[in-house]
Amino acid sequence: MGFKDKLKEELFPTIWCPGCGIGLIMTQLSLVMDELGLDERNTVLVTGIGCTGRMGGYMDFDAVYTLHGRTLPVAEAIKTVRPELKVIVVSGDGDQASIGGNHLLHTIRRNPDITVLCNNNEIYGLTGGQAGPTTPQGTKTVSSPAGTTTTPVNLQGLVNTSPHAFYAKTTVYHQGALRKAIREAIAWPGFAFVDITSQCIENNGRRIGFPSANEMLMHYKREFRPAPPGSSALESHQLGIVRGTPEERAPAGVAAPSGGSPSRGEAGSGEGEE
Amino acid sequence: MARRLLQGNEAVLLGALRAGATYYAGYPISPSTEILMRASVHAADHPEFRFLQAEDEIASANAIIGASLAGAKSFTATSGPGFSLMQEAIGYAHKVGVPCVFVDVQRVGPATGMPTMPGQGDILQSRYGSSGDYTSLVFYPSSVVECYRYAVEAFNAAEESLSPVVLLTDAFIAHLNEVVDLDAIEVEVKERTLPALASGQTRLFTGVLVYADGEPATADADEYLRQYEEAKARRLTIAERYAFHEYGWNTEAETLLIAYGITRRICQPLAPHFALWRPVRIWPVLERELREVAARHRDIVVVEGNDGQYAGVVERVLRRDVARVPLLGGRMSLEAAREGLTRLGLLAAEPVGATGSAT
Repeated sequence: MGFKDKLKEELFPTIWCPGCGIGLIMTQLSLVMDELGLDERNTVLVTGIGCTGRMGGYMDFDAVYTLHGRTLPVAEAIKTVRPELKVIVVSGDGDQASIGGNHLLHTIRRNPDITVLCNNNEIYGLTGGQAGPTTPQGTKTVSSPAGTTTTPVNLQGLVNTSPHAFYAKTTVYHQGALRKAIREAIAWPGFAFVDITSQCIENNGRRIGFPSANEMLMHYKREFRPAPPGSSALESHQLGIVRGTPEERAPAGVAAPSGGSPSRGEAGSGEGEE
Repeated sequence: MARRLLQGNEAVLLGALRAGATYYAGYPISPSTEILMRASVHAADHPEFRFLQAEDEIASANAIIGASLAGAKSFTATSGPGFSLMQEAIGYAHKVGVPCVFVDVQRVGPATGMPTMPGQGDILQSRYGSSGDYTSLVFYPSSVVECYRYAVEAFNAAEESLSPVVLLTDAFIAHLNEVVDLDAIEVEVKERTLPALASGQTRLFTGVLVYADGEPATADADEYLRQYEEAKARRLTIAERYAFHEYGWNTEAETLLIAYGITRRICQPLAPHFALWRPVRIWPVLERELREVAARHRDIVVVEGNDGQYAGVVERVLRRDVARVPLLGGRMSLEAAREGLTRLGLLAAEPVGATGSAT
């Protein structure tokens, strides 16, 4: 056994460009899956359109590669029907924060026990480098030649609109922090979102002045710092985890009809309703 | 259960439950909302039945796909604008081969249109609404009891064909109350066919064209054709088992009146004047049955709640002119049908004083 058992190595090399950050996420996810004993009988992957979505095809699990932006309703329904399964979503910032943004907003409210790993490379890489929902303001891209004019989506702020959610910020350079975040997110009893800053050298990095993927990783190393222990919110370029209060839930199988979690008011009453 | 008064929307829900559905996701929209409300009430008392009021129809459609892959018989219900939003997911379910049921309670469109008025404007959308080529199975009941029966058949056909099946109704049937005895209806229920997620395999369910090992086949026309023909053949073969239709009334009449869904009920008083052919399976078109019946009649007229959507299909199949009586703007009444048929010279003008509702 070992983390390589989680991968379909016969399909390697992957389709991802040399220097892409997605492989670093897949490696850490595989390591955590191996640690936690996750296999094809207790875990399902759900991925969305974008380079990141291809991960489902490279891993030794049943994987649902959904339509663009639709990972969350698919994942939540799988968890509702099969509460005993671990359901892990892997997709990019465009998939989660733009075309799937409304699903993110409402899945956070429902707080299903699923884990989202978001490969946040701040660009639409698969289609050639257009501005995305998390592209920093002012960035020149192939769809914003004069620089983007819009404020990026604040994923932390959005996820933490729920008092129960788990939000982790990390980068692919910080492999230890990344592994810890993935491990804790999978164990978290409720909605967990891991926001992973990652490099797209081919369709973004080079255009904004980085000569190589390594230089992008070094940039993350320089710019990101761990947040002070106990921080209730992360500032820009802080690594860390913000944990809500786990929601009290009815036992599996008798969950409330709203897809698996009692409403906030019911949770406040202390007892799971029967 | 004895004889009881039942509404069309409620009959659809009971049929789904009879078929073994254990997952519903939906978004409120007239005139389908009673299905969502009844599903929520049922879920409250039946923990094995899971209910999601989703943020929109896109989420609803994708949720029933996830639920089905996870092992539940699943369904959603909506109306025109919501059905439009679901089309992308319907295409995905066709491509991946996900059994599930979409109920479309038709109203007058396009767009918000006339939300509480009945229409039959989604005949073509139910066949061609999503991008690309695929083979749809679509049923359209004509009564409350048929809402129940064909809801069961829709689930059965979905399981056998491994595809999303559409059950069309309309605002009229949805809110029609009729006395029925559901116990008297014999139905067969098909078991699940697709092994549920995490049953030990490592499959990739994807809307992308891929080979068996999951590698993309996105530039391989031969592989596309192989998969497309296989899916089409399976659906057409299964559809043969669901060739529901009706031929009757005055079969000696010169004119064959084609009507489906609530329109067939509306036209019932015209039975002495016309032969009737009613497709219950709207798609795939019952071409052989239609040709056989049409050959016996000089004239053909299609009465429907849209501007000739099915009439155009009939013309294509028969390669002959077909008269049309469109009942538009929610004006789905015997008077409107009579008026149209009279204008075409297919029905004698009514004697003065007679009204449609009197027949």
